[in-house]
Amino acid sequence: MSVLDAPAGAAPGPAGTGEGLVGVFVRLKLTLLRNGLRQSAGRRAAYITSVVFTLLFAAGLLLGLVALRGHAHAASLVVLLAGVVAVGWTVIPLFFPSGDETLDPSRLVMLPLRPRPLIGALLTASLVGIGPLFTLCLAAGSAFAVASGAAGAVFAVVAAPLTLLVCVALTRAVATANTRLLTSRKGRDLAVLSGLVIAVGFQVVNFGAQRLGRAGGLAALDPAADVVRWLPPASAVGAVDSASRGSYGQALVQLLLSVAALAALLWLWQRSLVKLMTAPDGSTLAAAGPGREKAGKDGSRLSALLPQGRTGPVMERSLRYIARDPKTKAAWTTALAIGLIVPILNALQGTGSIYFACFAAWMLGIQMYNQFGQDTSAFWMVALTISSARDAYLELRARALALLLITLPYTVLVTVVTAGVLGDWGDLPEAMGLSFALLGGMLATGAVASANFAYSIPQDGAFKNVAPGQAGLAWISIFGGMVSAGLLCAPVIAVTIWLHVADLEQWLWLLLPVGAVYGALISWAGLRIAAPRTADRLPEILAAVSKG
Amino acid sequence: MQDRAETDRATRAGEAGGPATPPPAVRVQGLWKRFGEQTAVAGIDLQLPAGKFIGLVGPNGAGKTTTLSMVTGLLRPDQGTVEVAGHDVWRDPVEVKSRIGVLPEGLRLFERLSGRELLAYTGRLRGLPGSEVDKRATQLLDVLDLAGAQHKLVVDYSTGMRKKIGLAAALLHNPEVLFLDEPFEGVDPVSAQTIREVLERYTRSGATVVFSSHVMELVESLCDWVAVMAAGTIRAQGTLAEVRGEASSLQNAFLELVGAGSRTGGDSLDWLGGKR
Repeated sequence: MSVLDAPAGAAPGPAGTGEGLVGVFVRLKLTLLRNGLRQSAGRRAAYITSVVFTLLFAAGLLLGLVALRGHAHAASLVVLLAGVVAVGWTVIPLFFPSGDETLDPSRLVMLPLRPRPLIGALLTASLVGIGPLFTLCLAAGSAFAVASGAAGAVFAVVAAPLTLLVCVALTRAVATANTRLLTSRKGRDLAVLSGLVIAVGFQVVNFGAQRLGRAGGLAALDPAADVVRWLPPASAVGAVDSASRGSYGQALVQLLLSVAALAALLWLWQRSLVKLMTAPDGSTLAAAGPGREKAGKDGSRLSALLPQGRTGPVMERSLRYIARDPKTKAAWTTALAIGLIVPILNALQGTGSIYFACFAAWMLGIQMYNQFGQDTSAFWMVALTISSARDAYLELRARALALLLITLPYTVLVTVVTAGVLGDWGDLPEAMGLSFALLGGMLATGAVASANFAYSIPQDGAFKNVAPGQAGLAWISIFGGMVSAGLLCAPVIAVTIWLHVADLEQWLWLLLPVGAVYGALISWAGLRIAAPRTADRLPEILAAVSKG
Repeated sequence: MQDRAETDRATRAGEAGGPATPPPAVRVQGLWKRFGEQTAVAGIDLQLPAGKFIGLVGPNGAGKTTTLSMVTGLLRPDQGTVEVAGHDVWRDPVEVKSRIGVLPEGLRLFERLSGRELLAYTGRLRGLPGSEVDKRATQLLDVLDLAGAQHKLVVDYSTGMRKKIGLAAALLHNPEVLFLDEPFEGVDPVSAQTIREVLERYTRSGATVVFSSHVMELVESLCDWVAVMAAGTIRAQGTLAEVRGEASSLQNAFLELVGAGSRTGGDSLDWLGGKR
């Protein structure tokens, strides 16, 4: 079945009239889905796994909701659940802007379509998929959990599909209204950083759930639910509850609120769709008219502070990329946050040890790995200026120095704060010495791994950090490197243990200078080993990092 | 790596005065590259004269990009040798890399730098002193009409602006040989004219430009030396007149050389332009 066969064969197109268009769009969606799955076995497996998991999860939720039937606070819970699902549908298009190409209006611009039938067809096509099925299961389960009596049943039958329709209309309206933003560079940068938002959001939910457990169960939900039960689409689920309790007037108002919301969302969606498809795209206007101005001098303040030669510009570019490149920024922010949270939180909970502070050095040291992969295919600009092992050494050393500029003060800070929280000032020098040695080990192995196991980092999407087919390379690089870094630090660790065991604790402060010098020496050795490998493998590294 | 301006000026002056023939800008012998089953470049020999505007033409997939990548040291050949200005690209990278400027196709730039920052970075990586980089960058940005966008990130540039900033980065260290892969692809006419003027001025100084394209009219109007590639082999090379031969235009000569006959005619599209 080809999508193109269906409409074009009959007459000069369905031209935006009624059911024909709905059929075309639903078939288009199914065809695109099937063709996407046909592309690779991996994609098929991932899709089938996600379907199975979603269905199992939906079945579990459904059972849970059914079991909830008759519980005193069931109404509060299902109303809030509907609210959470609606929020989810709202933010999904912001995080996954390229999620559904069948619904991308920019591809339909040249077709003779009227807005109203188009909206109907797009809405129907949006209902096909795992997400809508999951939402329908949830809405049906929620309605069943609170419905009782004939009136309740009638409201339930209307409310479940209505909830789904409002959710889908909401997500499409948000996506269409923000198309210009989401297809712009800033929007895509935002999507890359969304991984962080989700991670933080997860922590907040986790924290909330724990508080809920302490605060004495579901009764704590009631105040929030009293508000949410009037907000569409949760008001549809609220209507079922109201009808079951006999407040028919309230039930009707709640249901009508959801219907009105659906109508308003469809109207908004249609309006931004028409605007998007008929107004010219202004995103290139700024680029087209730069206005002639003379290029002035631009002595960067940063570059004045950095060393001359190759070291300065390379450090400057590395630091700029940490601030400006969304992928690099996300990696650094995560490393900085986790490097701080793990030792400090453990210390606060009384389960910590000052040695946990080494975690910060370790997390930040990982940023040395796959240095050239972080360049993407722009590595050719570097490759063209490296013509000897000396050049490669300077390049790698400058990148390590840029990293140290942040990592060194940060490691000191985390170690001092951890010692402060624990009140364990005596062990501060040895912990810091160990951190420095570990950092040196990470820089050394990171440089060697960058030269030998470069891999591409895809630039789009928050959750893809390795190009297809290079996952093995990435694992070897990072895990092999971390184990080797640990082994490289073994002498310092051995000395620490020996000093403790041999009751020579008055000499433990020596570990600070020893660790620092040792760390510096092994990172120098690592750079020395990596430099000739880098210079020899420039075309191979370029090929490996250009797959993203 | 040092700035070549002084030595270049000296050698170019010497060429004008004496009868000594300079080494060819590029000499390629028996160059092969396979990607798995597919042979991208099948044993090509090329000799590109110095001081000329040279066009490497061929249909899509002819192996132009692969050839240019191997010539510039960005891709390792399976077999064969490449010399630029008499120096082997793989054995003597120090001599070669300081003499060439490259604008590849399909590879990114450091896009999170602004146009001016990108030039400053490239120039200083090439070993030019900061003040000199600043001076040259200012002039290049002015000539290429990028002054207004110099503080914008390259990621926000249009295709034409990217090609121009890439060209500026390739010219910054005043190379002897400039390799440009599809420099006019996706570029608007105004930017194309600017690029063209800069390149013509640059070749007049005695430098060599090697560029690939599949737009014959462009090659015909710009180049004085042409190499035709198809299916990984060189079909013809020589001056424009030699390659054109009896044909009325380079386009026709090219179609003959790559063996693409007339595909129009027959009755397969007889409805097109018929009754509506």
